[in-house]
Amino acid sequence: MSKTMSKSHNVSEAESCIHGAANRSSRRSERRRADVEDPFGRALEYFSQVKAGTPVKGNDALENNLVLVERVALGRGLPPGAVATLLDFALSLRLGKKLLCSRVLKFLIPASAVPQDSVVRGVSWFCMGKMPVSAQILFLRWILTMFDLIDSKDQHYIYINDFCSLLLIITQWIFSLSPYVCHLLYLLTTKEHGKQPPLTQLLALYKVLCPEMIAISMPSKTRGGFKNHNLPWKTALAAVLKKNKTAEAPSPPLSLDIKEKASTRKRKLHHLEVPQLSCGPEIESSRGKAVHLQQLRSFAQLLQNLDNIELPAQMGSLLSSSLALHYLDCVHDESALLRLNFWLGSVLHEEFLFCSRDGNPENSTEPSQFLDMLISTQDFLQECFSSSEFFLFKFLAMWDGSLHQPQILSLLSDIPPLPVSRMKMFLFEPLQQLYFTSSVFFKCGVIECLRSMLWKWLTWHFVQTSHKELDVSLSSSRTMNLHMSEFLELVTELVQYVGRLASAGLQLENYHILLHHQTLNFYELVCDVYLKFNLPLFLLPPSGVIFPSLLATDPVTVDRLGYVIFRYRQNLMSAKEHKQQKKEPSFHISRDVFREFNLLMVAVVSCLWISKDCQVDVGTDVHKALVPLRTMLSYCKNYNLIHHPAFLNYAIEFHQKCWPEQTNVDLSSIQGKKYWYWYLEFLFSQGFDGLKDFIQNNMDHQSTPVGGH
Amino acid sequence: MESPVTRLPTRRRTKSYGRSCFEASSRFAYTSGQLTILRIPTTREAPRARNIAERVDPEQVTLLIKNEWKLSYVTPLYRFRHTHLKKYSKHLSAFIAAEKQQGTAVEVGLETGYRVTFSTVLGIAETDEDAETVFIQIQSKPMFAATGDALKVVWSGWLTCVNGSPEYLHSLLPDFVSLPLFCSSGPENITVVVKSWFEKMFDCRFGSLGLDSTSLQWLCALWTGCHPDNNIRYLRLLWTLPTQPPLDVSYTVNPQDAWELWNSVRQEDSVDGTVGIDEVKHFMAGLESHFFRHFKIYLSSGTLRKVSTALGSAQQDGKVKILCSDYLATVLTLLTECAILKMPI
Repeated sequence: MSKTMSKSHNVSEAESCIHGAANRSSRRSERRRADVEDPFGRALEYFSQVKAGTPVKGNDALENNLVLVERVALGRGLPPGAVATLLDFALSLRLGKKLLCSRVLKFLIPASAVPQDSVVRGVSWFCMGKMPVSAQILFLRWILTMFDLIDSKDQHYIYINDFCSLLLIITQWIFSLSPYVCHLLYLLTTKEHGKQPPLTQLLALYKVLCPEMIAISMPSKTRGGFKNHNLPWKTALAAVLKKNKTAEAPSPPLSLDIKEKASTRKRKLHHLEVPQLSCGPEIESSRGKAVHLQQLRSFAQLLQNLDNIELPAQMGSLLSSSLALHYLDCVHDESALLRLNFWLGSVLHEEFLFCSRDGNPENSTEPSQFLDMLISTQDFLQECFSSSEFFLFKFLAMWDGSLHQPQILSLLSDIPPLPVSRMKMFLFEPLQQLYFTSSVFFKCGVIECLRSMLWKWLTWHFVQTSHKELDVSLSSSRTMNLHMSEFLELVTELVQYVGRLASAGLQLENYHILLHHQTLNFYELVCDVYLKFNLPLFLLPPSGVIFPSLLATDPVTVDRLGYVIFRYRQNLMSAKEHKQQKKEPSFHISRDVFREFNLLMVAVVSCLWISKDCQVDVGTDVHKALVPLRTMLSYCKNYNLIHHPAFLNYAIEFHQKCWPEQTNVDLSSIQGKKYWYWYLEFLFSQGFDGLKDFIQNNMDHQSTPVGGH
Repeated sequence: MESPVTRLPTRRRTKSYGRSCFEASSRFAYTSGQLTILRIPTTREAPRARNIAERVDPEQVTLLIKNEWKLSYVTPLYRFRHTHLKKYSKHLSAFIAAEKQQGTAVEVGLETGYRVTFSTVLGIAETDEDAETVFIQIQSKPMFAATGDALKVVWSGWLTCVNGSPEYLHSLLPDFVSLPLFCSSGPENITVVVKSWFEKMFDCRFGSLGLDSTSLQWLCALWTGCHPDNNIRYLRLLWTLPTQPPLDVSYTVNPQDAWELWNSVRQEDSVDGTVGIDEVKHFMAGLESHFFRHFKIYLSSGTLRKVSTALGSAQQDGKVKILCSDYLATVLTLLTECAILKMPI
């Protein structure tokens, strides 16, 4: 029997050699094209081509190539192809027996993986029995060390078959000798030998595999039966793997990069562990062609198999890799999404609401990492999971405003448009309470969060409406108009809400400059809603925002206010034109909007432009509304662009440039027609583009400040 | 003219991971009500003694009432089928064996194998929406056992749903089976393995279920109300007061006195078989003021940790013992409700 076995073994070996030769020649031609310049490539080529019987002594080419390959191997590890070539070279014993073989084996450190067919070939060399014993031992130890890295280029399931063939070869070899070896062992073994750990370990395994054969009892702790030999490659391998890992880290490839388990600290309850991708239980008979997500390695593979992919057993595992997220984007199965929501909701609830943390509340890196993962996932999908939305609404009621503040605010901004009443109850009211009792930085965070939320809604709405124009059939069933009114109501409510928050907040925080800028940021989005998002909504900032910005001591704030007003004007003008052209009855802008805007313009222009000896000249229809404005103007007569505290030092600088010899600075001399224009040019040259837009678009009729000269 | 390309009925993505007010029928609409519809009820049905043995196999009933159970809640099970229990039994025993092989989990004595039995306990469910209760028993085969030896039960647990909120159960998709209450008894490491098996098989998640003081007060009142039909023998309450160091107060009330107090707070108009939360609060206030009269300690400043009578006991950390099967439905209804309130969506 052993004869036939070895025969078939020889045949398979011959086949593999032929196969290998074909491989080699194709590899060679490829390499010749690509790696003419690459010394490493040439070295490998040398090893794959070198003929048997080439002298070793005094062979400089061999020595140089060996040194080169050794350096690469110990530096960054060998690519799989190189491992195969070198293993083949070493074990074939082409150049002498002992020295070269062990020398090559000693530095054979793979960078990532060992191709499994190369191991199979190695084993077949091994079984030919020509290797010296020391080399045999070294090779077996090498396999033991690299065992976890042996991989196949193809799918996982092929791996198992090929691996079986490897085992088969080894067992063939063992069993061709085994009758004699066993016989000898039978004769030699005494009771003391039977206690040897490796034998016990093997027996223990047999006991698990065929319990009926081995009736003796084993000590329950048989761990450590195989000594973890201090193998020569271990440290080098670890160093190479670590180095390669850190090198790859900055640019995560689009692959199934399953996140490593946080093994540093064993959490008792594993709330925050994303489950591993795994296929469904075997009980459910799966479809024949189904592909498991964990088998896919690239985006191209994902696209090819998109229709055959089987959902994982635990939907939460889709959050573990970027490739799986791409797939999640295509999942239309309601049950699957519900499973995902159950999982995510339960994780969030357990960790943050039920607070069943393991008595270590100050360690918050893991929870915040989880939240970061959730944020980036939602960013990728551009949608909010409903479970995270519910979680947020519940969490907001008990949030102190500081725990994971950046993450929570970022998650809040993902909340989709909801009916106004719900939004008020679950978001606006609790957030308002936190806003008024927290620091200025939290206030800025809240305004920014609401800005980002509004931006997401508007973008979403814009995509929806432009999509509707493309495809009428789809949206005809939906009564968009009704919903449109809901949406407008919601946006209006949000903008007014932020208006209230901002004006009260500015007052509370003594017109903090950061809060000013966050607020103006928000209004920079609001003022352009018509032109940028095609939404006929004109919501002006409340006076609690306008006047503090107008009278701010910081020129950039005034400049940004100028820009905001300029954009409002552009939007209103364009809406007016549109209305006159189309004459659509549905498109209606209230007269109040224009009146309110004109009032705002008058106020700002009067302030920045009109000098102190001028009377405000306004139309009679707005006269009544202007009464508070008049009183205000009586206080800020000196707030034109020359005397405005924000621009005072510009005015002085300008004055010094115009009249360098004058020590007595008289700023009113800038109000002369010529100098006024020069002064404006000077301001514009300082980068006040908002002011420039504002002035150039509004002041073309008035050449100089009213009453200047 | 539009180009033909633009007129193609491009089926854009209209699905969402959540829901928006713009969708005609939102996909997760049922969950939107969660924040409002799932309220803690203010009235309950008064317990009625029922001989459960008429409906449920008495052997199975004894399994349920003899242990102290640790409570957990479970999110709905995806593709759980009561018809596959045999397969589940095999699968779970293989899973436990595999976990043991890895050395991560179970290490109880010298057992070599586990036998898992899944079974349905028919008759526990009260309404048509309730899924049938599933009972799991894990037995070990001792290493040196003779063939005739009985297997030793090392762990048991069950999943149940009694009078689950119909709105919630209706809102689930047909692929899901909701058995929100999970009771387990046995070594913690086996519980962990069983839970992780469920999580992997049915894509669900477990969380521990504690009982807040309102739930404990309900149990206290409901059990006391049973006294005329079924002697409760004692009413024992355990409080922990926030002193330094914490003070545990054990308060045992004569059953007849407790019942008379309960009877006195029962309102005339509510004798139609329901119990209101006001009555429960009055009852507790009565007990507490009696204690204050004697010891000058306000029990209401502490937390109620445990309630026990001869009919059963319940603890704040979610340990429950049911000693009398007649009131199984009442207790399980309350516990199911606590479990459903914990559902994330």
